[in-house]
Amino acid sequence: MSRTVFRYFFDFLDGQEKWLNSMAARGYRLKKCGKLSYTFEECMPNKYEYAIEFVGDKSYSKAREYRDFLESLGYRSFTKNINLNFSYGKLRWRPYAKGMGQIAASPGGFNRELLILEKTRDGKPFDLHTDICDKLRIYRSVRRAYAWAVLLMFGLTAVTFIPNASSASADTIWGIRAVVLILGVLFAVPAAKYTTLVSRLRKESRVFE
Amino acid sequence: MVNIRDNIKGGALTETTFLILLALYKPNHGYGIMQFIEEATNGRVVLGAGTLYGAINTLLMKKWIAPFGEETESRKKEYLITDIGKQMARKEINRMAEVLRLASTIIGGEKSK
Repeated sequence: MSRTVFRYFFDFLDGQEKWLNSMAARGYRLKKCGKLSYTFEECMPNKYEYAIEFVGDKSYSKAREYRDFLESLGYRSFTKNINLNFSYGKLRWRPYAKGMGQIAASPGGFNRELLILEKTRDGKPFDLHTDICDKLRIYRSVRRAYAWAVLLMFGLTAVTFIPNASSASADTIWGIRAVVLILGVLFAVPAAKYTTLVSRLRKESRVFE
Repeated sequence: MVNIRDNIKGGALTETTFLILLALYKPNHGYGIMQFIEEATNGRVVLGAGTLYGAINTLLMKKWIAPFGEETESRKKEYLITDIGKQMARKEINRMAEVLRLASTIIGGEKSK
């Protein structure tokens, strides 16, 4: 029996990971995922464990190489989108990425910003990043993705204040402003969370490695 | 190549780096490195896959380790420490020995367990 659930995570890293693990604890194993959908099949409760990796700052080939490496360690992997892209035709600009990762094509690295990894639960924690320096690196790149999303939302709001730029009615414009601002705030929450995490880790890193 | 960071005086290797270097005195692949480190430290250090991947790439770039043998469909990519890598590991031992000597003189000879 399979079961499909629709979900969107503003906290795509920890939030999504916790949810997948709670599904696995209740006996649902991820079978496939779409943009907003997750299809599960029944399995023994607590048999599998999930971790989410952010690869949206990597170019498609680098992300592919990394995925191959993770699979060579025996993890099962899925790719997942985060919907934080600014698009023009088939090309997407990911301002938060590095180098060639900034331009993502579809099909290609676009909509594959995340890897969902599955391993059979073996009693050891499923941590992908284990030293402070590496944790800082990954959380910084996640924070950058959120910061750009927030910036874009406030940018869009600002655009609506340009006089005579659009023929839409005042009500429509206020509606757009409200939606965009709410999205901005929703992205700002995880942005703030990862900012706190980064600064805490930075302090730790002066003492520990 | 930027080598500035190599010249940091008294710089210690991170534990991750040092243990990976030790794991590669014999040819080994990613999973083997993880297992070696876990066993050698009695489970105190369990490397995350992402951390290991990043470290391997950095060490390859610095040429402290190098790919070993041919990679085939059935065989995983293996790595081996280079002469530069061995030199860096030796330097690290000397540094650790010096720190240990200093600590022993101050704290006393008792070995903590």
